[in-house]
This record gives sequence, structure tokens and C-alpha cells, in this order.
Amino acid sequence: MEQLKTIGRELAMGSQGGFGQSKEFLDLIKSIGETRSKAEEDRIVLREIETLKSRLSSPNTPKFKLKEYLIRLLYVEMLGHDASFGYIHAVKMTHDENLLLKRTGYLAVTLFLNEDHDLIILIVNTIQKDLKSDNYLVVCAALNAVCRLINEETIPAVLPQVVELLGHQKETVRKKAVMALHRFYQRAPGSVSHLISNFRKRLCDNDPGVMGATLCPLFDLIMTDVDSYKDLVVSFVNILKQVAERRLPKSYDYHQMPAPFVQIKLLKILSLLGSGDKKASEQIYTIVGDIIRKSDSTSNIGNAILYECICCVSSLHPNPKLLEAAADAISKFLKSDSHNLRYLGIDALSRLIKISPEIAEQHQLAVIDCLEDPDDTLKRKTFELLYKMTKSSNVEVIVDRMINYMISINDSHYKTEIASRCVELAEQFAPSNRWFIQTMNKVFEHAGDLVNSKVAHNLMRLIAEGFGEDDDAVDSQLRSSAVESYLQIMGEPKLPSAFLQVICWVLGEYGTAGGKYSASYITGKLCDLAEAHSTDDLVKAYAVTALMKIYSFEIAAGRKVDILPECQSLIEEMLASHSTDLQQRAYELQAILGLDAHAVKKIMPVDSTCEDIEIDKNLSFLDGYVQQSLENGAQPYIPDSERSGMYNINNFKNQEDLESSTHALRFEAYEIPKPSLPPVVASSTELVPVPELSYVADILQPTTSITSASSSDAGSSDLKLRLDGVQRKWGRPNYSTPEPPKSSNNTVKIQNEATLHDSVGISNSKARVVSYDSRKQQVEIPPEKQKLAASLFGGASKSERRHSSSSQKTSKTQNHTADKSHVAVKTSQPPPPDLMDLGEPSSNISAPSIDPFKQLEGLLDLTQDTTSLSTGGVGATEAPDFSSLFADMSLSAQSDDFASQVSSVNSSNGLGGSTTERSIQQQLNKGPNLKEALEKDALVRQLGVTPSGQNPNLFKDLLG
Amino acid sequence: MVNKQGQTRLAQYYEYLNLEERRALEEQCSFVEHRNYKVVYRRYASLFFLVGVDNEENELAILEFIHLLVETMDRHFGNVCELDIMFHLEKAHFMLEEMVMNGCLVETSKSSILSPIQLMEKAS
Repeated sequence: MEQLKTIGRELAMGSQGGFGQSKEFLDLIKSIGETRSKAEEDRIVLREIETLKSRLSSPNTPKFKLKEYLIRLLYVEMLGHDASFGYIHAVKMTHDENLLLKRTGYLAVTLFLNEDHDLIILIVNTIQKDLKSDNYLVVCAALNAVCRLINEETIPAVLPQVVELLGHQKETVRKKAVMALHRFYQRAPGSVSHLISNFRKRLCDNDPGVMGATLCPLFDLIMTDVDSYKDLVVSFVNILKQVAERRLPKSYDYHQMPAPFVQIKLLKILSLLGSGDKKASEQIYTIVGDIIRKSDSTSNIGNAILYECICCVSSLHPNPKLLEAAADAISKFLKSDSHNLRYLGIDALSRLIKISPEIAEQHQLAVIDCLEDPDDTLKRKTFELLYKMTKSSNVEVIVDRMINYMISINDSHYKTEIASRCVELAEQFAPSNRWFIQTMNKVFEHAGDLVNSKVAHNLMRLIAEGFGEDDDAVDSQLRSSAVESYLQIMGEPKLPSAFLQVICWVLGEYGTAGGKYSASYITGKLCDLAEAHSTDDLVKAYAVTALMKIYSFEIAAGRKVDILPECQSLIEEMLASHSTDLQQRAYELQAILGLDAHAVKKIMPVDSTCEDIEIDKNLSFLDGYVQQSLENGAQPYIPDSERSGMYNINNFKNQEDLESSTHALRFEAYEIPKPSLPPVVASSTELVPVPELSYVADILQPTTSITSASSSDAGSSDLKLRLDGVQRKWGRPNYSTPEPPKSSNNTVKIQNEATLHDSVGISNSKARVVSYDSRKQQVEIPPEKQKLAASLFGGASKSERRHSSSSQKTSKTQNHTADKSHVAVKTSQPPPPDLMDLGEPSSNISAPSIDPFKQLEGLLDLTQDTTSLSTGGVGATEAPDFSSLFADMSLSAQSDDFASQVSSVNSSNGLGGSTTERSIQQQLNKGPNLKEALEKDALVRQLGVTPSGQNPNLFKDLLG
Repeated sequence: MVNKQGQTRLAQYYEYLNLEERRALEEQCSFVEHRNYKVVYRRYASLFFLVGVDNEENELAILEFIHLLVETMDRHFGNVCELDIMFHLEKAHFMLEEMVMNGCLVETSKSSILSPIQLMEKAS
């Protein structure tokens, strides 16, 4: 049947010459239509490109032919090939007198070119001319092009004409002019900031099409600056009211709904305006309630409006009646068979739980159904919901589910997202150390390369510090369990680098602690690891540092170190490594092996990661030395700022500073560099012999001074060395700046972890009660599912505390049941309904037994009263028809103070409330200091181990 | 707009994307949430209509927008099919241009959408 129709159509086209289309064109379209593979299609298009190239280059092609060629070019471009050879013909066609050709030319140009293309400049002139045309269709074509092609630089060329067209007698022109201004606003808000008032005026346009279009720019404007548009709340409410009351022309109806797309846009705007504003919200309640009540939940579009209403309710100042109505609508969505509606239901739920978290409990079973649904989109959406409702009482179940899902998917983008969410939740709500370590192990094992490197450093810090309890036994238990699990895991192939680094670090620090494992066992394991990952320098660097730690702990403990042959060969291999970083680590390891116990103990104190390193910024311990030097006739130190520019010219950094301040050329010759005081403390020379007064000294300086720091510690325990600033005070200005070793943990605060553990173990007893309740209602639900529900949604409000051990126990059973229920559901699930609906949508939503809207009405009447009171004259709510309403509004709009809006629009930049919200919350949870410190920590560590040319700061690990 | 074999039949972008990005988007049409985009799609016989939207969009409304577009085309072509769109690519584009500007839905009245196009046809 289908084919017959097509053939008939083709015949019809053939007989009419296909509306002026040539046989060639028909053949092309047909052959493209008949291709069965991309390669075949490519061949046809490539052939077509050749044909078009020769045709277009021949002169005297008739115009109607050219139009066809242009459309064929559109096909070429659309099917993914380059048609740039024909762009100029599209540009030429925009000059044509014939309207259809002109518009086709504009269409082709807008599809081919982006706004920064070189050819645009040729079109601006045509656009200018066409904007002045008498034929309004030509003006419309030009305005369409304006919306697609005018960039920031060309805005001034057309702006005056566009503004003039705002008052054009044809509504289509006014509409498009509004959208052109909108485009200018999108591209360069500053360029139209003085014209914002026009949008307000056009909102009162007689034509509903213009009004509807004006909502788009106003939405954007309100998004960036809510406060300047609060006065429009009444107007928007009135418009929405009129739309809902079918005052708009019938042609705007869609599936018996009056202008639904306008309604949705208005609801979006109102939710922006009412967000966090009680007064504005009160003006909005009535109309939203009305729309919810009137809504038709049997059609897609009706549900779309209903969904928008829920979104609106969830952003308005909370109103119990409306929330109830919204919750009701959500339950209808969730109970629906349509995947689309369930998707929207989950989304709406995640919006609504922000203001009333208890709603989730009513829908727990529906949520679990969605989670186990084979539809991936629905599943992801549900995970998003779960992520938002995670508490310490349900974190184990949720994270467990997330990890399982993470393992099952391949899309690395989404995997990363889920992994980082797991980490975030685990850090925020971890009920116990063990669980945290195990969770992190899983995340690292499966997505270690995808998560932020910060996470790895976080994990190391956590193992080092424990959870902030003073109980050392618990901490060491945590560490030994980490060591144990790592020893098990590390043999597995394909572990991500970040995870291996963590393993090396933990084994180095704590591998031999507690005496369970011998040094040779751990070092053997580390060697195996380094050999297995011989291409990964970072892992090797971590491994060799770990070896160094273990050996020095052994030496410090007075035991004899025997180095395994494979370790010996590993070290030898690294001594000759191409990586200077590895080489230096290996040399340092060798040097340490040659030292006595006392020195090693000072250099490598056992379990010192968490000790704060105090740094003496004033380098007071050097005072004696300086004094002595001065007495011996050395030059006194001249601070940087007091030195002349000429002296500083050797220093890159200073030179830059200087240049930025003077910006002048230097004509004198460079001065001979003066030797400066050696920065080396005597005791350090035994570690690394440094030739004094040489350039090498400068380059090596950072390393040596750090070693001197630790060894000078040996001399006097009170005096500590502050290293940043060394360079500036002593020594000739440096070629490279040593990175300030404000390494790692000197700013870390341990007590922060207390918050992690605070709210652990919220009782599940209430959850059980809830699940029993629901069992009464729906007997057929399997108890496993209910248990899962209970563990997910249970007892938010109860905050009785239990020991973490008990929650550990329950989690085990929960996990178990979760698995079971998964199986149960798989068997009982009906075949998944297709996401896309081919026919008319039909939802089997049964009407609720009690009409919540009946109850609503009382309240709505009340609010209506207040609205009309507060709105005063403007709120002529009973405006008889649309135009009179607009007339009213235009009066009020004109009397407004536009200047203030304009300036405020100017100053506002960007949106992004919701994204910042999260980070703020995070900061609140973690404390800003800690976060900062962690970032620094991560950065410094990374710098320390990356074999960059700049002074690899090798003792960072020790200090950190 | 893509047909059953994933072949592109009509494409308009409201933010300029280069060819590579477009290809990546179009070839993974079965993804519903792809990176930062959300793709709303609807199938009519052999033709899929895909609309890529950001996260703040009302998906169901977009689904109905697709249907509105199809209804509009149907009114213009009379019992519209894939070949109508292929043979009259520019007209399909014109309709879309009337309905969507700057990535916003501006016109939803079928008569307002079609009248300029019909006038233009008469004129030439």
C-alpha cells in the first residue's frame, strides 16, 4: 500500500515535471532514497559533487536550474560532505528578484554558513536592502537570515531597521523582528540593552503570535535578572488565565488544548519569577491550581502541561495544597504504562523532593520498578533521583546499585559521572571505614582512570588520617584492612594507574606496620607491580618511593635489610632510566640504604603523613650563619624590591615583572652575574655534594635545601625550615623557580572527618513500618522489593542513632535482598513497552478516588482575593478580551522605569544558580579550608611525581 | 530528521556545530540522553524525528512539537510521506523556520505557519 502510494506520487511528479524539478533531481533523490548503506550513499554524493561542480562553473545557467542545484548542494552538505564550492552561488541567489529564489538562497546560506564565515559580509548588504522592501514576505525572509547570520560585529548594521520593523503593520514581521532582537540579545546582550523595553511593549501586542514569540526573549531576560521583571507577574498570570480560558484564536489549539505551548512557556516564566519569592508566588498559586484542575491527563500535551505545572509548583514558594495536587499528578505519571510519563514522573519527583522529601516514600515501589526497568533512559533518570535523595540511612544500598550499574555500562562519559557520584556519596555519607574502603576499591577497579585524580589523593589522605576518631586502634585496623585488600587486588590485570598509585602508597606507608607482613614480602609485591606496569612511570615512581619507605622503616627499626634480587635489579634498571624522576628516586633510595639508623629515622619518620610540618618562614635558624658571613665581609641582603632593575635582569620572573611595569627596551649590555651566598647548609653536603657558587647550585637548590631541612631537623628539633622565600632571600636570582614545598598535610585538618560519621546508622525500624503499611494496601508486592524500598526510603525523619556496626549488618541483608528482588522482578516483568509511541497516546490512569482539587478550591478562592487586592488597578482580572488586556498592560508597562532595568540587565551575567548550589552545599559539608587544602595537596603531589624538567621535588612524599 | 536506516533527511541547527560534531550527534540517534544533550524522538512509519534539546526542556512538549510539525506538513502536502520531504526539502525547511527561531518555538498556529509559504508559492 505504502509503495503504491509512493509510486503514484512519483508518477504524478514525473508528469508535472516534479514542480519544475528535473529528471536528474528526481533520480538523485530516488537513488539516495534507495541506498542501503552509508558507503553507497557516499558514492552517490561524491558523484553528485562532481556533477554539481561542473554545472555550477558553467555560465548562463538558468535561474530555476540554479535553485535546484542549490537544493542538491543542501543534500550534499546534509549527508555529511563538504559543499563549500557552491556557497558563493547561494550568496548570489539571495540577490534574486524572485521571492522563492531569494528565500531559497537565504535558506541555503543559513544552512551552509556560520555567522563568522567570510562570505557573510557579502550578505549583510542584501539583508539591509531587503529589510526595507515593500513586500513583507521579502522582509520576513531577510529577518530569518538576520536570526541566523548576523554576528556581534554586524549587529549595528541592521539594528536600526530591525527596531523600526517592530512597529510594522504585519504581525509576522513584528514577530520576526522581536526574534531578531532576541538573537542580538543572545549574541551580545550589550548591543540591545537599551531596547529591552520593546519586549515589554510587544508582550502587549494584539497578535497572539507576536505575544507568544515575545515570551522567548523575556524568558531569557528573566533568567538572568529576575528582580527587574517582578512587576510583570500580574501580566503573565493574566495572559495565562486568558489562554487557559480559550480566549486565543482557535488556530492555536492543539489537540483540544488552548495554545499549550504558550501555556508551557508562561509556566516556565512564572516559575522563574515565583522562585523564592513568597509574594510573587501567592499571585501565581491560583492560576496554576486552575490549570492543574482543568488538565487533561489523557493526551500527551495535557500531560506536558501538567508536568510543567509540577515543575512550577516545585520552584514556587511552597504551598501545601498545590504540593498535594502535584504529588497526585506525579503518582499518576508513575503509575502509567507509558515510559515517557514515568520518566517525567521520576523527574518531577526529584524536583519535588527538594521541598517535601516525604513524598518519595509514597512512591517507593514505583521508583524501584523504574530502577529495574530495562529502559536505560528511565534507569538513568531514576539513578539521578536516588542520588538526590541519598541519606546516611540508604547510602549503602544506593551506592551498591550505582556501582553495579556502573560496571554494566560502557559509555565512558556516563561511567565517569556515576563513578564520581559514587565517590561523592561515599565520602559524604559513609557509614563505616571498611565500607568506604571497599566502595572506593570497587570504583577504582572499574573506573579508576575515569575519576578525578583528586579522588585518589583523597583516599590516601583518608587512610592516613582515619575517620577522625581519636581511637588509634580503629585507624590502624582501617589501614591493615586496606593493606590486606590491596594485597589481594594488586595482582589483577588491567588495574587503572590511579588505583595502582594508591596501592603503592598505602603499601609503602603501612605495608609492614603491625608486623603482619614482612618487609621482603611487601617489597617483592611492589617489585612485581612495578615490573607488571613497566610502561607506567608514575606507578613505578610510586613503587620505588614505597620501597624506599619500607627499607628505611626497616633500617630505623634496627633490622638488617636484605634486598631481594628482583628489587636490586629494579633499582639498577631505574638508575639508568630515561626518566630523570625515576633516576633520582633510585639514587635517593641508594643513598638512604647507605645511611645509619639514626639519620634514616629522621629522614623517614614512621607514620608521619599526618604530622603537620611547621615551617619557619623567617629562617631564623640561619641567623647565626648569616651573622657570621656578614662579619666575614659578605654583602648584606638587599630585598628584591630595593634592588635595581638592572641587577634583576638575570631573573626570568623578575624580568617579567619589570617588563610589565616599565615596558621599555634596555640598551645597556647585560651585567656579569654576581656570585651570591651559598644557600646550602653545611650538614646537607653529606647527602648531595653541591659545588658552591655555581649555576648548578641554583638548579639543585630546591632539592638540597629540602634534604637540608630534614637533616637540620636532626640538629635542633625546634628549628624548622620554611622553604618558600629561600630563593628570594639568598642566592643569585634563579633560572627556575623552585616550587614552594607547602606540601600536603600541613593544612589538613583531621577533625573534619567527624561530619562524615556523624549521622550514621539511622534506624530502619520506621522503614519497616512503612513497608508494612504498603503491604497492607498492595498485597501482591514481593517482600524483597519492599525491603529494598524500605532500605532506600526508610525513616528519613527519625534520627535515632545506632552503632555503625548494626547498620553494617542490615546493609548486608539488604544487599542480599536487593539481589533477590532483582531476579524476582526480571521474571515477573512484562515485555518492555516501546519508548516511542506510534499511535495516539493512551494512558490508563484511573481517576483518584477523592478529588484533591475540590479541597484545593477553598484555598484558591482565598488567594484569588489577595491577588486582586495586591495587583490593584492593573490586575483587571476580568478583562473581557485579549486586546483590552494588552491595552491595560501597555499602560502599566510604559509607566515603568526602564532605565533601571536596562542597567541591571547589563550588569547581570550568566545564570547558573542551580549548579553553584551543589558546590556550595558541598563546601558547607566539608569546610572550605579542607577542600582547598586537598586541591593543593593533589596539585603538589602531582607536580612532585611528574618528571618535568623543573626540579622534581622528590622528597614531597616524605614531607607529605 | 532521520529515516529508519539512520539516513539524514532534514537537519537544522540553532547553534552552529561543525561537521564532525554533527556527524557524531546524528549517528548515535538511538541514544536518548547523550552527553549534555537530550534527544527527543518520535517515529512516524519509516521516519524518525529527532530533536536535540538541553536539560531544561519539557520533553513531552517537544514530543508534541514534533507532532505539530508533522500535522503542519500533513496539511500542506496532504498525507505527507518521506518522499514529500525529500522532494520539497526547502519547503520543509521553510515550515520549520516559521515555527522555530533562535532555538525557540515561536509559532504554533498551523495557519500562521503555512500562510507565508503558500503566498510565496502563489507569487512565483
